[in-house]
Amino acid sequence: MAYYPEPVARLIDALQRLPGIGPKTAQRLTFFLLKRPFDEVRELSEALVAVKERIVQCRTCFNVTDEDPCRICADPVRDTGLLCIVEEPNDMLAMERTGEFRGRYHVLGGALSPLDGIGPDDLKVRELLARLDAGRTREVILATNPNVEGEATALYLAKLLRPLGVRITRIARGLPVGGDLEYADQVTLSKALEGRREIG
Amino acid sequence: MHIGSIQLIEFRNYRTLSYTPSPRLNLLTGPNAQGKTNLLEALAFLLVGRSFRTSRLGDLARWGESSAAVSGELRRQDTSRTIRRTVRMLEDSRWQAAGESCPWARVIVFGWQDLSILTGMPAARRAFIDGVAGRIYPSHLPALGRYRQVLARRNLLLRTRPGEAALAPWDEQLAAVGTELIDRRRRATAMLQTELARIYPAVSGERHKTEIRYRTELGEATEPAALLAAIARVRRDEIRRGQSLVGPHRDDLVLELDGIDARVFGSRGQQRLLALSLRLAEVLPVREAAGTTPVLLLDDALSELDGTVRGHVLREIQTAEQVFLTAPEPLRVEGAARWDLRAGGLCAA
Ligand SMILES: Nc1ncnc2c1ncn2[C@@H]1O[C@H](COP(=O)(O)OP(=O)(O)OP(=O)(O)O)[C@@H](O)[C@H]1O
Ligand SMILES: [Mg+2]
Ligand SMILES: [Zn+2]
Repeated sequence: MAYYPEPVARLIDALQRLPGIGPKTAQRLTFFLLKRPFDEVRELSEALVAVKERIVQCRTCFNVTDEDPCRICADPVRDTGLLCIVEEPNDMLAMERTGEFRGRYHVLGGALSPLDGIGPDDLKVRELLARLDAGRTREVILATNPNVEGEATALYLAKLLRPLGVRITRIARGLPVGGDLEYADQVTLSKALEGRREIG
Repeated sequence: MHIGSIQLIEFRNYRTLSYTPSPRLNLLTGPNAQGKTNLLEALAFLLVGRSFRTSRLGDLARWGESSAAVSGELRRQDTSRTIRRTVRMLEDSRWQAAGESCPWARVIVFGWQDLSILTGMPAARRAFIDGVAGRIYPSHLPALGRYRQVLARRNLLLRTRPGEAALAPWDEQLAAVGTELIDRRRRATAMLQTELARIYPAVSGERHKTEIRYRTELGEATEPAALLAAIARVRRDEIRRGQSLVGPHRDDLVLELDGIDARVFGSRGQQRLLALSLRLAEVLPVREAAGTTPVLLLDDALSELDGTVRGHVLREIQTAEQVFLTAPEPLRVEGAARWDLRAGGLCAA
């Protein structure tokens, strides 16, 4: 059996660790890159490094950002009384694309998941409580995914936040069943936001 | 509704088959192992894209073939729809099904495996009532899927000896979706009861009193709060055993013949006839919910029944619309279309 030269094997190996990429695809990508012009490949490798070097987590909302606090947290026009809770930065972008929401966000970094052993301590829940303690929030909108993990997370937070006396709402379930916010189209998501209901 | 025509390609023991059935009663006869059940399976696959005897798609293709196809025409009143469904093997040896589906197509299947509604474990009766409820209420099976997801996660969580706060969101979901399932199963059971009370005496030819009841720990309660309270009562046990102990996944059906448990005391013939009557009892509720009479696929439904009862059954099934009935020996029924099956071929008898 023939072996790949070390640099080729190394790249295949690295690509394979990406989600959704198996050995065959990793090989195909590697040989594709080998054929590309040097500049193009350098651009890709620099982009990869830059994303790790320059991107940080916003210490207020835990969004990914190139400045801390992020643009949304720093925006003086945004309503500080309205806080939208999402699972991942992607979900936040999906909400932003609707153009309907003018409050701020809190990114949990996941959802409660017994399958993955993820409990409240693995999410930015304590940080959320600390934010709410500051006292400027009127309404918390729970915009976790409509799947069973997202629903569990929303129910958990609703119970936890109830004593604080803020209004707590959950975005409507107009979302496709088992669907993720990230893939929901903008119209569906705007409707879901409009039709939010009190929870807990 | 009825199937106007069907074509099979490399399906089970059929190389190719083109069949134009009667819109009413079709008798499919032939010796053992000639492909009678296989043809019913193809008809079901055309209608709803699923087999009633296997979940392994690869079994449907003729041995040695890497694909199979079933196509045909479905008719309802003045509409008609051409459907084509395929299964095929992918590069990695997994099998994949494809094809458009028909939202109004409904099928009710009776086969020997239905005896397990009477002789089997509670899981067989839950599967039966979920099938019925799913044909009546389109949201039932998606809710069942969601319930199973909640249950699996909650059981995992129970094994970690969780506190109240960690369990609460799973308890609430279990109670909400669980109550929804119980409610639909109860309503489906009540519909079956009404029909069974008419059909069983008609086919047995005797004035038997039949009863089917839904049995749950919750008694008559219909609110999620009742299930939540029941969960709270068994919490300690659940944590000790790492298992969810109340909810629709623990429920059962009670089946009685003249006040006696038919699961335990029914004769073999009575059990077969009761299982068949339960399937026939579904026809009217499904027709009312779906707006069209389901196609009936009855596999060997007359075996183990005596001559008089057979006569009653044949009369009863003709009140439905399109029916396919298989039997190993020749049958004669006034006005029925007869087909003879031999080694993957078919001819009018
Ligand atoms: N994928 C397949 N490819 C080819 N032949 C198959 C396949 N699956 C099953 N068979 C064959 O089809 C034959 C007929 O099966 P089928 O169950 O339809 O018989 P039947 O006519 O209903 O008989 P019975 O009266 O015993 O119920 C079986 O003997 C089996 O060997
Ligand atoms: Mg058979
Ligand atoms: Zn921020």
